Amino acid sequence: MKLKDYQRLTGAIALIAAVSTMTVAGCGRGRDGASHGGASTGITDSTITLGITTPLSGATAGPGTCTVAGIKAYFGAANAAGGVKFGDGKTRKVEIKSLDDAYDPQKAKANYDQLKGSVFAMTAGLGTPTNRAYRTAAISDKVPQVLVMTGDPIFNDTSQSPYQLSLVPAYPNEGEAFGKLLASSGTAHKVAVLSQNDDYGQGYVEGLKKGIEGASNIKIVKELTYEATDTSVDAQITELAATGADVMFNAMSITPLAIASLQKAQQLNWKPSWFLPSNTSSPAAILKPGNASAYPGVYSVSFAKAPASPAFANDPDVKKFLSDLKQYGSYNETPAFPHCMWSYMAGAILEQAFTKMTEPTRDNFMKALRGISDFKAPLMLDGTSVNTSVDKQPAVSAVVVQKYNGTGYATVENFG
Amino acid sequence: MFRSPGLFSRAWVRRAITAIAVIAVLAVPLGFDEYTNQNLARIGVFAVAVLGLNVVMGYTGQVSLGQIFFVGVGAYVTAYGATHGWNIGVVLVASILIPGVIGLLVALAAARLGGLAIAMLTLALPIVGVPLAKRLSDYTGGSQGLSSAFSSAPEWSGLYNDQWQLYVVLVVGGAVFLLTRNLVRGKYGRAFAIVKSNEAVAASMGISPYRYKVLAFTVASLIGGVSGFLYMAVVQFTSPETLSLGHSVTLLASMVIGGSASIVGSLLGGAYYVLAPQLANHVDPNTTELLQGALLLLVLFLLPGGLVSLPRVIARKLRRNRPTGGADRQQSSSGAPARGRKAVEEAPTMSGIPTGRPE
Repeated sequence: MKLKDYQRLTGAIALIAAVSTMTVAGCGRGRDGASHGGASTGITDSTITLGITTPLSGATAGPGTCTVAGIKAYFGAANAAGGVKFGDGKTRKVEIKSLDDAYDPQKAKANYDQLKGSVFAMTAGLGTPTNRAYRTAAISDKVPQVLVMTGDPIFNDTSQSPYQLSLVPAYPNEGEAFGKLLASSGTAHKVAVLSQNDDYGQGYVEGLKKGIEGASNIKIVKELTYEATDTSVDAQITELAATGADVMFNAMSITPLAIASLQKAQQLNWKPSWFLPSNTSSPAAILKPGNASAYPGVYSVSFAKAPASPAFANDPDVKKFLSDLKQYGSYNETPAFPHCMWSYMAGAILEQAFTKMTEPTRDNFMKALRGISDFKAPLMLDGTSVNTSVDKQPAVSAVVVQKYNGTGYATVENFG
Repeated sequence: MFRSPGLFSRAWVRRAITAIAVIAVLAVPLGFDEYTNQNLARIGVFAVAVLGLNVVMGYTGQVSLGQIFFVGVGAYVTAYGATHGWNIGVVLVASILIPGVIGLLVALAAARLGGLAIAMLTLALPIVGVPLAKRLSDYTGGSQGLSSAFSSAPEWSGLYNDQWQLYVVLVVGGAVFLLTRNLVRGKYGRAFAIVKSNEAVAASMGISPYRYKVLAFTVASLIGGVSGFLYMAVVQFTSPETLSLGHSVTLLASMVIGGSASIVGSLLGGAYYVLAPQLANHVDPNTTELLQGALLLLVLFLLPGGLVSLPRVIARKLRRNRPTGGADRQQSSSGAPARGRKAVEEAPTMSGIPTGRPE
């Protein structure tokens, strides 16, 4: 009884104290987000602060860590060289605040709430649900949420998302690039399609169909799907093998299934040309274990130079990238995920926008960011560029088709 | 420990304190800055979820790993209703009833099983829930999820959105806390406690363990639905990620850390769920999981009864340091024997009754 009373008393005193503190504090809430002498939050005459919420723990921590390391590497090097010269004549250092959301939408929103009072813009974060979670809030707060890594098209629709822009090609962009290559081959091909039964797989297939539209030489002979939770696709591969198709379009995001598909088709002695999405086409993790050299060609798409590939070992871009990543991004190995390169490019694209900004405001920044065309960011492959002014397209929408050559990928102009 | 005994037992004093506390709580949203309000609202959301888990697990002793599923269903129902222009009252009721009905159906099967089998069955809920939410994309928006800003502050209120949302959480969450407090302190609470400590004894006293397990599970899923409604009101977005199993495990950890079988412990659990990741992010964003793990172990080692036992532990320490006060010592060392409703609130293990199983 006594203890209970004691607790009750403490609680009541704490509450009353809290209320009186608030009253004394005067409750003056300045919440205008912008306008301290015209400049937006997060920017001064000498610094600009960018916020990132991305998975730094959990299953997606690998790519997530890269999204921070890449942009830190880029701006670390730029700051060391004196800073970034903005369009309004001032030179500013770029600071990055990154928080872990563990791929949890709720945490991403909480991180955004925490950051929005001190950062100029949100950038580089990875994940569709996590970026979606604070999209509407960012719009109503007028906080830019740009060059985020998601294939969700809503981020590129200026009427729905006025303060957003995503960085990477959407799934249909990838499928379409391969479709176009097939269509331009001039020879007849039969295509078998196996796709994941969700918006990921549907996006690829939609792109493929758009790419081969009107091409009489290409015929899709069979379309099958699998569930992301499936542990085997042997049945589907067997069914597709029976069609005798000479091209296999495999829109798959699960690493073990991609390896198993490559192996199963070989067991059945079915050896078509093979297409894999950019995120499941790693030579070391998928193609070697799947013995991909048995096939006449394995194709994928990309827009970034792969530092691991021998073809780029002496490339000056790649060398600078790797040294910046080590020195400023605290990332010591050669990155296993493309997100390190993408995030580094995001840094370069942001710098472009900064040099075009004539006023230190978020609105002016969005205008500057949307005015970049044919910019070749470091690490970009020939044939790709940054175009931010096209509505409903991400900053990088162009990809080039690449073919596996036994050790890495090389860009190809023609199919076959 | 100077206090005048009796003062706080007087009805008018208690009533006055309650009134002041309610006024203080209602003043909170007006006084804090936006970020604090948003954090308090989030704490409210997960405190309700932990409270639901506490009903089935803390009070009734049935391990449930499926609580996040009911939160997710509540959130999806709310999002669906709000985007289709349903009346907000209908949305609230639906977001409570639908998870409740699902919970009842699951419980009818699950409660027939004993011990860890219930844990296994409830474990399946989030595992089934995530692909299901992706699959039913006509209702759930698929893996891209659903957004709904239905909880923006209405014009007439003159409030900011974060203040309005915190009021929604305070009113709805407060009502749930009050109802649950009454539930677990009354005859149902006593029945839950006996089912928890020994089912055979419960049955011999005319309390059907099966019926009370089903009841506790259903109440937990109803409360999960409320939490889902509040989740949508505060986060304004839900996706299959919301239902992922990892969050269910974190909810369970939060319940243990806050204090099992305790109303205040549920609040503290909610605070842990929301604040621990933020604290870890503050220290080092690259090692959040590690830091949270360390925090979990620290609490379990130092305060096995959860954060809610902290004042008790401190009071005991203080008393021990004083040489006199034999009466006090006697009272504290006897723990909290079964003393009616008080025992249900304060003693998670019902030490007065011998337990049949080593739980």
